Amino acid sequence: MIDLPAWSQPFLAANRATLERRGPWGRVGRDWAFGDGTGKGVVVAIVDSGVEVDHPAVGGRLTASVAVELSGDAATIVDATGEGDVVGHGTAVAGIVHALAPAAELVSVRVLGADNRGRGAAFAAAIEWAVEAGAGVVNLSLSSRSEAYHGLFHDLADDAYFANCVLVCAANNVPGASYPSLFAAVVSTAAHEVPDPSIWFYNPRPPVEFAAHGVDVDVAWRGGSRIVATGNSFAAPHLAGYVARIRAAHPGATPFEVKTILAATADNAR
Amino acid sequence: MTDETAGGQEAGADSDPRGPGSGPRSGADALIELLAGLAERTAIAGRMLPATTEPLLRSIVEATVTLFDAEAASIALHEAVEDRLVFRVAAGAAGAGAIGVSVKPGEGIAGYVFAAGEPLAIADVGADPRWGRDAAARTGYLPRSILAVPLVDDEGSIGVLEILDRRGGSFGLHDIELATVFARQATVALRAGRLEQDVAAILRSALASFTSADTPSIQETIDLAIERVSHDDGMWRLADAVARVAGGHPDPDRVELVVELLEALERHPGTRAARGRVAARIPFAREGL
Repeated sequence: MIDLPAWSQPFLAANRATLERRGPWGRVGRDWAFGDGTGKGVVVAIVDSGVEVDHPAVGGRLTASVAVELSGDAATIVDATGEGDVVGHGTAVAGIVHALAPAAELVSVRVLGADNRGRGAAFAAAIEWAVEAGAGVVNLSLSSRSEAYHGLFHDLADDAYFANCVLVCAANNVPGASYPSLFAAVVSTAAHEVPDPSIWFYNPRPPVEFAAHGVDVDVAWRGGSRIVATGNSFAAPHLAGYVARIRAAHPGATPFEVKTILAATADNAR
Repeated sequence: MTDETAGGQEAGADSDPRGPGSGPRSGADALIELLAGLAERTAIAGRMLPATTEPLLRSIVEATVTLFDAEAASIALHEAVEDRLVFRVAAGAAGAGAIGVSVKPGEGIAGYVFAAGEPLAIADVGADPRWGRDAAARTGYLPRSILAVPLVDDEGSIGVLEILDRRGGSFGLHDIELATVFARQATVALRAGRLEQDVAAILRSALASFTSADTPSIQETIDLAIERVSHDDGMWRLADAVARVAGGHPDPDRVELVVELLEALERHPGTRAARGRVAARIPFAREGL
């Protein structure tokens, strides 16, 4: 018997009965939760491989692009306007967020391409910058397994939480811990297999608390193209988009309250 | 205040000149730490798999191709010096062209997965015309679908396992999770091999340090290092590692230093019982190089 990491397993069709959830307040209406459903006035930071500014899927909503440069363990944020996306992944994430929160402002923080040894430091600098820059939502479709960064990421996740910034993180299906995707202060996200971006589930048995559309997702890719892709990293931006909607409709809601609304509007909430 | 500080340092030096908090780190402390680290890593490597990992990696990609009913599977490893991901082993008729191909971390599918540490499955790869053209030009094969998972452990990413074109359809969540199990096998095997390389790298640093004028003598350093690591038989592991490094790569510049280190080891009272055992592993040491 192989011990699979299986963060997505609780959310698959055969297991979903165990997600049955009767919260103390019942199911909250999405009309109330989302308001006009546009995410207007919310800044969503995309910490990823860069974003293609003129990709149709981004809808002209990318307002800034920066990149993390590393010198040893020292990270600095530099302007990356016009540098695009060397992979396509960040553009895919931005396209998903934009499709769900079309009036939200997108900011790209490119961290990939950095030297592997300093990767954790680059991720940390990107999160820190995004929080200080006033992002209401940060999408992190990446994580670090380095134990050396456990404490730093834990502090950053808490700092973001207390600074009124919601970190939405893709859970890593690689075995073992990954940071900051499994911390309680973030919205940790796995993929479910239902081909519908409007469906998400809340898992009352953490560490991974949410699952969204992440299998065979039609996404934007580099060069103005689109491809079909699968992974938790495409589930996270669905929730980032919904968080942007909630934050726009309820500007006074704290990250704790946003997570509560996400759970109360999930498809398995009764 | 000044007197108290100076007195404190003296007292610390008297009780344990190498202990933590006993004053500024000296060159000897740094060398001891280096050697202790070397001994510890070598001990770990000794308990793990042999250095030859390539056959194991090949068996992993072959098993991957069979299990996934895929056209090809390959493993790319990160080469730190060039900071490139280089495809080292492949299986399946469509995989051979990938061997030797390299990409930058953070670029392309494999580069993204390596840098992000997140698995990724792409269907309908040909829809990205630029990617398709690049890949086909480099490998001679244009896949329809790709599943890539990082070879990652607590120390970080060391490479990527890539699976191309599952015959039964595109890759799903279960495939991603199963592929991570294969990736974990490869990572364990590779990490053991990398530990051996680490030993060589640390040793090189240690030996380079011996050549600078203001460092303590080799004998002094060995004395101190043995005190630090003898509880775990670490020095014998170190000696074995030295022998392997020197034997495998008879670089004249390094051999002289290695032999000097081994001679110092053998002269040490704590190592006398095994005299000859270490040097015997290096043919050119016996010839008096």
